[in-house]
Amino acid sequence: MTASGSGHGLALERATGTVPALNPRTTIDTVQDALSALAGRYRTDEVLTAVRHIPVREARFVPMPSWVRPELATAYRGKGIEQLFSHQGAAAELARSGKNFVVVTPTASGKTLCYNLPVLNAILEDADTRALYLFPTKALAQDQLSELHDLATRLDDCFGVFTYDGDTPSDARKAVRERGHVILTNPDMLHTGILPHHTKWTRVFENLKYVVLDELHTYRGVFGSHLANVLRRLARIAEFYGSKPRFICCSATIANPGELAAQLIEREVEVVEENGAPSAEKLFVFYNPPMVNRNLGIRRSYLNETTRVAKELLARKLQTIVFANSRLHTEVLLTYLQQANRPQPGQPEPVRGYRGGYLPGERREIERGLREGRVRGVVATNALELGIDIGSLDAAVMAGYAGSIASTWQRAGRAGRRSGASCAVLVASSAPLDQFIVQHPDYFFGRSPEHAYVQPDNLEILVNHLKCAAFELPLSPDERIGSVDLQQVCERLAEAGYLHRSGGNWHWVQQAYPADTVSLRSVTSDNFVIIHVTGENEGEPEVIGEVDFSSALTTVHPKAIYIHQGQQYHVERLDFEQRKAYVKRVNVDYFTDAIRYTQVRVLEIAEEERIAGPAARAHGDVLVRSQVVGFKKIKFFTNENVGAGKLELPENEMHTTSFWITLERGLLAGLPFALSDRQSGIFGLLYALESMATLLLMCDRRDLGTAVGERPASPGIETDWQEFTTAMNDPSQMKEFFEPNLYLYDAYPGGIGFSEPLFRVHDLLLRRTRELIAACPCEQGCPSCVGPVGEKSERAKEAALKILEQLCA
Amino acid sequence: MLDRFWRVKALQKPLNGAARVSNSTLPKDFDKGESAAGEPRGFLANIPEGAGRLAELLGAAPLRNEFGEHLALRKWFSDVADGVKTDCSPLGHGLADERMDASALRLLLPDAAEEAGDPRQWLFLDTETTGIMGGSGTYAFMVGIAWWDAGGLEVEQFFMRDHSEEHALLVTLAERMAERRVLVTFNGKSFDWPLLETRYRMTRTLRPPAPRAHLDFLHPARNLWRLRIGSVRLQELERHVLGWNRGADVASEFIPEIYFDFLRGGAPEPLVPIFLHNQMDLRGLAALSSRIVSLLAEADLAGKDGFELFGLSRICERRGDATRARKHYEQSLAADELPAETDRVARHSLARLAKREGDHSKARDLWEGMLGNSREGFEAYEQLAIYYERYIREPQRAASISRDALTELQRAKRLGTIARARYQQIRARFEHRLARLERKAGRLPLEPIVEESPAQAAESDGRDKKRSSHARIG
Repeated sequence: MTASGSGHGLALERATGTVPALNPRTTIDTVQDALSALAGRYRTDEVLTAVRHIPVREARFVPMPSWVRPELATAYRGKGIEQLFSHQGAAAELARSGKNFVVVTPTASGKTLCYNLPVLNAILEDADTRALYLFPTKALAQDQLSELHDLATRLDDCFGVFTYDGDTPSDARKAVRERGHVILTNPDMLHTGILPHHTKWTRVFENLKYVVLDELHTYRGVFGSHLANVLRRLARIAEFYGSKPRFICCSATIANPGELAAQLIEREVEVVEENGAPSAEKLFVFYNPPMVNRNLGIRRSYLNETTRVAKELLARKLQTIVFANSRLHTEVLLTYLQQANRPQPGQPEPVRGYRGGYLPGERREIERGLREGRVRGVVATNALELGIDIGSLDAAVMAGYAGSIASTWQRAGRAGRRSGASCAVLVASSAPLDQFIVQHPDYFFGRSPEHAYVQPDNLEILVNHLKCAAFELPLSPDERIGSVDLQQVCERLAEAGYLHRSGGNWHWVQQAYPADTVSLRSVTSDNFVIIHVTGENEGEPEVIGEVDFSSALTTVHPKAIYIHQGQQYHVERLDFEQRKAYVKRVNVDYFTDAIRYTQVRVLEIAEEERIAGPAARAHGDVLVRSQVVGFKKIKFFTNENVGAGKLELPENEMHTTSFWITLERGLLAGLPFALSDRQSGIFGLLYALESMATLLLMCDRRDLGTAVGERPASPGIETDWQEFTTAMNDPSQMKEFFEPNLYLYDAYPGGIGFSEPLFRVHDLLLRRTRELIAACPCEQGCPSCVGPVGEKSERAKEAALKILEQLCA
Repeated sequence: MLDRFWRVKALQKPLNGAARVSNSTLPKDFDKGESAAGEPRGFLANIPEGAGRLAELLGAAPLRNEFGEHLALRKWFSDVADGVKTDCSPLGHGLADERMDASALRLLLPDAAEEAGDPRQWLFLDTETTGIMGGSGTYAFMVGIAWWDAGGLEVEQFFMRDHSEEHALLVTLAERMAERRVLVTFNGKSFDWPLLETRYRMTRTLRPPAPRAHLDFLHPARNLWRLRIGSVRLQELERHVLGWNRGADVASEFIPEIYFDFLRGGAPEPLVPIFLHNQMDLRGLAALSSRIVSLLAEADLAGKDGFELFGLSRICERRGDATRARKHYEQSLAADELPAETDRVARHSLARLAKREGDHSKARDLWEGMLGNSREGFEAYEQLAIYYERYIREPQRAASISRDALTELQRAKRLGTIARARYQQIRARFEHRLARLERKAGRLPLEPIVEESPAQAAESDGRDKKRSSHARIG
């Protein structure tokens, strides 16, 4: 990545490269021209919901600090860097003064210098210094390697830099441990490969001065909660060897980078937010595919529309990257675009695909083609979202919202990284979040509302890491790890046969290796594997994926349609005992939606408060009991119910945390709706609340569970079972709610830290949900707002809005 | 209010981790020891209750140093097995007092310090551990060492009755290792020793002892006996090489659980077989090392076991002693007891060594005897073809050999005795060779040697290349 090059270096590259540099004015004009062609006969303001012009921003420089070693300053000068951007300077000074800090900067703002400069300077001052860089993926570590190699060459190879991950050959590992000053790895490898073998890393741990966490915003939810515990273990081991590393973090723009960093590293953190890097002008466009059926809220296919947008841009000689959210969509879009852009005779294909699964050689060839301008267009998954150097393109087109504002900006940043005008077009799908975003541009362009949350003290996660910690180093009674009573947990672990107390400390007494059984990407390792067994002719049974225990029953129950990387599979058999689901590849025009009875029992209310409505909001511990009793087959696009089936599956219980809103009797009684409309309104409201919550929490829909239940007279009292399906429900079958609780619970055992934040931001949650529903142009509700009309009452949308109006009063 | 721990999966008992000890493998009175589980015990001095009885059972005594205590047991053995007639020499006989032959030592460890050849400096070592995965949470709860003494083997075992005794145990071990500086193990290079180094590092104060040399007998044993015995587990080697059957022995996979049970207050009796197991491992290792050393040292081994001779030649070949390797290959073939497959490997290696030394006619004779449908058989066809083409300069003869090879290959295919991919690969090679040879035969004698294809150049070693380039000049 050339992120730390100065504008000068890049401009030179453009001038001497084969890329025909368009003058900025022309690019903007060309895009404007393309846009009017696209909007065509539609009402422009309905299709182009936002056309924002982001002006040029000049660089703000500060001089290279005087304490930077001359040879390092020379090395950077050799790369065209004479002075620092202001945020780089701020970072360097913070590092110099021994602070932990997080740098929040957009793509291409030279963030790698923020950590490389202080780290290398420390190594040059003291050759014993060691640093550990953590990247969320192996690919990103590989990418940083080349930048560091370049610096190493300029510094006469006076320091060693290596990646250490699953791909590192075992005969090379010893050399990495002994000769690496900077070790690039990932959390998973730190967890299973480094910490349990820390005695082999004595030199690194004794001299560990810096730990770098890049792409900090990706460490949220389950992954982040695990990472926080891995870092607790790292700190313990470092302390054992007498070192106390400083943390340098880099994050994309989110609302709470400092809070997230502080939660992850459990230290005080300074935040560097002001960005001194220059940026070129950019046109950011929201494109909402035109309505074809206003009643049902159906729009033209966003994939076809994405193709149209990309074709218009490519036709105007703009080098374009198209992002799709799945591999399948990548292939579909690629097919469309290649048909429309045939290569000249004897020339290579001008439009290429790029995603995981392509061979490394092929990828490098495409990257080079993009840099040199031979490849005019590329259709990619998020594989190209981060890091990888593909030069600066003219346009980025996104087929569907990337799921978070941070990654949308990262994708948009692939066009026009620092100089030359560029454009980014977001083509919205009909998913609620997409629709909300394109209809509320200010939400997107304003200060980021996205929060990243972690729950390092999730018991399930914490206890698993305590096991790993005990393996690494006996636990001493004086230690403090998280908020648990360590003695109590250790005693429980001893009873279960994991630990033994002797000499005051708790020692690991199992043959098994605890880190091996703990995956950082799920709460428990109790997963179902999905085994693909299509016909004998197609080869051996093949494991295609895993699902968490908690979502297995709703996603891989018998006869379910399981969608994996865009391919549909029919679940033939679910072996509950062995935790295996056997699937066959199919091609059908429906998906399945499990009918689940869910019951939420409030165990303990952490906080509760009356709000307008009259209503109340609360959060606390809950027990969720659920059972999948059947499923519905839902037709794609029309969302018609085309069949159903009954299932007999075991009941599942989960202790987790939840946020809930209680609609009090007075509120419901005052609504001018019939019972079924009211009930529909409640479910519609919950559907929309869930959509909005996932947006605020930067999480996935499957990370949250929802349920409606009568408010219990007091905590611990059971309420009746309620039917609740994720996308549909049939209120006519429901018994009446008098004072319903609308639950949004963490869909992970022990909770993953969403409930309390939701309680805190409930105001924003309600206001945004109201905007989401109000701005939706459908008439009676659609999947973009209160859920599909289907079996819901016709006045569901109206009722939901009315309730919100009361709640926001 | 529910206990917030009750549902935490990570706190539930492991499903399969704790392999329960099956009673049949344990002494009869295993269940008699009353368990103290659940009863409160002192926190700091948490030595399991059974420790006292364990010392009585074994006749062991606590050993104290400035860092604390641990249990120690010392015993002298005159023979590998107790009261059993074995066909190997008594422990210590012959080897214990004299230095090892320098060439034999080089075969074991090419760059060994000179004192490594002095068996009086040898310290045999074997550990019993809480797991086989390594990592900083795996403990060596028992360390057994042994050395030659008074015409027999002195065995000393250190045992930590509790994790808190580890430090003292490691200190004692370091003292013993300072007395005898050559470490001798079986698979200790990759397992026992790195694990102990980890244990020393975990103390943060003790440096891992630095032996002058580390002799590990796993690899030589593998070379010498895997072919005949299949397994190179120490017990199997004892049975087949030393002619001694251990009899009752605790299965290794139960050892960690037995120790954990003891820690949790279980009876001490099941630990006794582990002490015996560790002693047997050390005695077996000592006897086996004598056997291997004498095999490596003996100059004239003609008439000995063909398998051992074959293994010996592998060791010599790998250590670069080609002359001795050739000799042993020849001896192993002369013993005429190798199975067909190994016999071919031996001939093939011998031919390769002969060729490398320029003894082409010897190599040719070997190849001619090996032609046929086997990996080495086809290799022999190829080598013969190369021989006739390059050294004898008879391309017609080389072509005819290539044709024979193709016929053989066809037959193998018809009989279904060759894998398809392999068939195609070999066929392509010979067809390519044949085509070239026929071209060449047609042009002779105008152009004696044509340029080699890269594939052809790659298949001959450096010496051949030099020769063929000379031929070209000629």
